[in-house]
Amino acid sequence: MIRRLLFLTLAFIGLTACGSTPETRSSEMVQAQEADKEARRALRDGQLLRAQRGFNKVLVLQQSQDNVSGSATTMVNLATVAHQLKEHDAALTWLDRIVMENPNIYPVELQLIAAFRKSVMLADLSRIGEADSSLKIAERLCDKSCTQKLGLDVLRARLLLLNGNIKDALSLAQTVSSNSAAGMSEQANALRIAATSEEKLARYEEAFQHFEAALETDKALGFSERIAADLNGMARVAKQLGNEREAEEYSKRALIVQESLRQIDSSSRK
Amino acid sequence: MPLLEDKDERFKNLFGKSAIFILVATIGIALAFILVEIKHGAFTAMSPIHFVADSGTDLREGMPVKFSGFKIGKLNQLTLDELGNVQVEVSIDTKYLGLIRQGAVMTLKKEGVIGDGVLEISRGVENKPALKAGGLVSFKREVGLEQAVVDVKNRVMPILDELYDTLHNPQGDVHQTLKNLRQFSTEMLETRERIDRMLDSVDGTLNQDIGPMLESLRKSADSAASLSESLDRELPDLLLKADETMDSLHKASETLNDSVQQTAPQLPGMIEEANATLGKTQGLVGDTQEVVDSLNSTWPFNKNASKHDDEPIRMDSHD
Repeated sequence: MIRRLLFLTLAFIGLTACGSTPETRSSEMVQAQEADKEARRALRDGQLLRAQRGFNKVLVLQQSQDNVSGSATTMVNLATVAHQLKEHDAALTWLDRIVMENPNIYPVELQLIAAFRKSVMLADLSRIGEADSSLKIAERLCDKSCTQKLGLDVLRARLLLLNGNIKDALSLAQTVSSNSAAGMSEQANALRIAATSEEKLARYEEAFQHFEAALETDKALGFSERIAADLNGMARVAKQLGNEREAEEYSKRALIVQESLRQIDSSSRK
Repeated sequence: MPLLEDKDERFKNLFGKSAIFILVATIGIALAFILVEIKHGAFTAMSPIHFVADSGTDLREGMPVKFSGFKIGKLNQLTLDELGNVQVEVSIDTKYLGLIRQGAVMTLKKEGVIGDGVLEISRGVENKPALKAGGLVSFKREVGLEQAVVDVKNRVMPILDELYDTLHNPQGDVHQTLKNLRQFSTEMLETRERIDRMLDSVDGTLNQDIGPMLESLRKSADSAASLSESLDRELPDLLLKADETMDSLHKASETLNDSVQQTAPQLPGMIEEANATLGKTQGLVGDTQEVVDSLNSTWPFNKNASKHDDEPIRMDSHD
């Protein structure tokens, strides 16, 4: 009897092993990965239209594989490319497909990213009310430990400043700027918001210090447009402090940065 | 009483019967002949029309003359006049002559791709009077397949010669593009050096302001140099392919002269190959342009791409 049971068990295990096939990546999945790499490379090289075509291809392949998470990532990427192409409506539509899906099948983290980006894009377009609604969705999706928390706070501070709620904007920006977990980029953004808030509150010396701190970080990161913004802020504040010569110097530096940017752009177009 | 008198009733009036039989047969044959001739238009009133051809090639007596796809006559006579021109007379059914107006053109064409030759007469000029019997029309030959093949050959050959020249000529586009690219990368390096010199002449703080852009410029120059190396690697293969194409073309052009039937099937392949080579060249030049174009905007975007391929592209609260 025992021998028979043993034989049956072994036979069952054997049949199960024969029936299972090793997991292989489908050709669509491989194609999607290759196309994704290609599209990211195109974006890195500034070839936005090529990147857009590439990400569209990736999305089709991922959807054919029912790859929900991958599709959401690609839709966020498509929104980012569309935003850079100034196709704002298209960018917002891509993000809405993730945020507004009901019932929402996409991972919460990607819903959060989509809502955050939508809010940033709307803020860039000065659609403050809509940006605020979208940011609230992102904040609701973000628990205290979510990785985007400090980025959301900086955006909240930005919206507060745009809405004229300067003190709250300053308070929130100062909190984030002193938190190294935010990352250098968001810390610099927070410092710039704090400086602008202080400038509006006529606290020029503090504003100058914060613009200067933001400038140092932006230099380290190589964000020239932000460097120019910092220098312009310093020039404005220096003028308010009565340092005309210094203000002129900062203005000149900002102008050189902007002009260098323009020249690099025009020389590479020849 | 005759000795050998024919008593058989069947042989009575044999001569008469034979005469009737022969008469009926003759009438039958005559009727058949007449019907055939009627069918062939022997009794149809025909009107002659003339034209002068450059040569008698492909023209033959009895050749049908068509009008709007219907046969309305035939070629009657071909003669060589004292000046060496070929005088041609065609007969047109008189009842259709009224449809043809002065200024009509007689065209020699093929029925189908390799069919028999036919003469097709056009309607003529609308507001001119109808053509009269004995009238003169102009003549032309339609471009046949052979001529079409020669035309295509004449068009393709210069393109391929140009392609060959483009690829091999040191002053050609590809070499010039490479040269320009090298010049461009050199200029990029020179630009970088100029900026470095400029930065040396201003204070250190300003140097730090423009530092990130200078770094970007260096990367751009490096990209240009790497593209140049890539072209150097790929060009020999392309040139080899062009040589193969040229060889194929010369072989095909020799075949062209042999016969239309042999050449016609090869022509699409030949054109396809030429197109493929042209496409590759355009692709190469396109790639060059793409890389040059990418230098326009590398700097603003190079920080946007995520290092992790499964994550969305990075953006912050101010992008």
